Amino acid sequence: MAAIDSVRAQTRQESLFLLVPGVLVLLIAFLFPVGTILITSVVDWTEDGVFVLTTSHFEKFFVDDYYLKVAWRTLRLALVITLATAIFGVPLAYIMQRAHPTLRFIILLMVILPLMTSVVIRTFGWLVVLGNGGLLATLVAPLGFTGRSAVLMHTEAGIVIAMVQVLLPFMVLTVLGVLQGIGRELEEAGRTMGAGFWQVLRVIVLPLAVPGIVSGSLIVFALSLSSFITPSLVGGVRLPVMAGSIYQSIGGSFDWPFAAAQSVLLLAATLLLIIPYARLVRTSQ
Amino acid sequence: MTGLAPPASAHLMAGALVIFTAFVMLVPLGVVIASSFSESQFLVFPPQGFSFRWYREILSSEAYLSAAWTSLKIAVIVTTFSVLVGTPTAIALAKSDTPGRATLSGLFLSPLVLPTLIFGIGLLMTMSIWLGGASIWGLIVGHLVICVPYVIRTVSAVLSRADPLLEEAARTMGANVWKKYLHVVLPQCRTGMAAGAFFAFNISFDDAVIALFVRAPGVETLPIRIYGQLEFSPDPSVAAVSTLMILVSLALVLLVDQAIGLDRMT
Repeated sequence: MAAIDSVRAQTRQESLFLLVPGVLVLLIAFLFPVGTILITSVVDWTEDGVFVLTTSHFEKFFVDDYYLKVAWRTLRLALVITLATAIFGVPLAYIMQRAHPTLRFIILLMVILPLMTSVVIRTFGWLVVLGNGGLLATLVAPLGFTGRSAVLMHTEAGIVIAMVQVLLPFMVLTVLGVLQGIGRELEEAGRTMGAGFWQVLRVIVLPLAVPGIVSGSLIVFALSLSSFITPSLVGGVRLPVMAGSIYQSIGGSFDWPFAAAQSVLLLAATLLLIIPYARLVRTSQ
Repeated sequence: MTGLAPPASAHLMAGALVIFTAFVMLVPLGVVIASSFSESQFLVFPPQGFSFRWYREILSSEAYLSAAWTSLKIAVIVTTFSVLVGTPTAIALAKSDTPGRATLSGLFLSPLVLPTLIFGIGLLMTMSIWLGGASIWGLIVGHLVICVPYVIRTVSAVLSRADPLLEEAARTMGANVWKKYLHVVLPQCRTGMAAGAFFAFNISFDDAVIALFVRAPGVETLPIRIYGQLEFSPDPSVAAVSTLMILVSLALVLLVDQAIGLDRMT
């Protein structure tokens, strides 16, 4: 027994030693900066150089119509983006599960490749597609859509389309993970017992996929809340979202405490979604 | 079995959905590539003519070359440190008797799901308050936070398939701690480390969000240069740079697939 205990003590020691670099990075590069944001958001510097606790930076956000509109736009866009990724992503995950391995790899590659290219490049592509004289305008011109109606730049629809491209993989891969866990046997059982294809999908597959759809939706929603580059380039200055407003407070008006307060709100909203997400993922494993 | 096959209508709808998705996912990248070979000054679609003039232009542009060099330097440093930090972390998390394993792994992977922008802002504020301003090292640290989790994931994925008895065998046969790690544990991690390195390189090389916030004087990465051009007047030279970057990403994705298989990264 003593030998086992000493072996256990030694592996424990090894683990602690192995964890040192990771914990250091986490402290220096993650907890410390996030802590700085939290502190900056609730203090005010007086003229004598002392600082006092204050909620004024948060109040500024909640009393101003402009910022409430920005928050509402951010939430609304995130909701529409999540719905759209679910509508396309869930069937796509099911197709991948049933497809031949080659086709599955092709779909996987086409879903992952945009995710792996720089966000500035993806967005640039959308600027060329959605903009004036772009691909979409050229395609729909013969159908009688010309001028403003054919240009989705600087519209919320444009932001949604461009964001769905980026976030679809998160939905597809999460749902695919759950579908693979279900296996095909239940479906086959349903079919042999006389249920039609669509009935099996509705009664067996879809209900079992719900945890995957929920966790996929939570992650997509959280990621779209904080997205920055795509909404600011496609939406432009007329359609600011939270992230753009934070950037403006930092680089434009140099109001860092206000930027910190907005960041805290964004982080809080994200955590509200991520915590149930993490729980779901853990139980499904 | 034929009786259980999905009906023709399902096949038709599946085909339509796959083609539509392919369109939405790939067309934006396709138009960038197509525009890079344009002859004209302006970005219009369809592109006019065919030439390599924008490639010649960027390859002789001091600004693009120095941005590319900056990005490359940062990505190499970030990749090296990510592997050095992520691998031991993943090894520790794979051991069943590491205390607080679930909590720790949640904490280590959390940068994957938290807004990247928060790290950028936090680092900018931290550096301005305590270190007198942003520097290239702030950017490197910021990239490290978002890259290490990928290495942890890829190495963990490989270790979950590894044989735990090997490590025990090495110990009972008298290998000391160093030998055990060098000859038994690390070789098991190799493919995961490679895949993690490719991810880390790609993420650092492509990042614009942290780089936009932690902008140090005189440090301009390639994505920041592209962002700047998009804000005012993009011409096909941006498309040429972007095409080269897409090729780098594609190569790295295929390398990850070679190393551990893309479907293990889900």
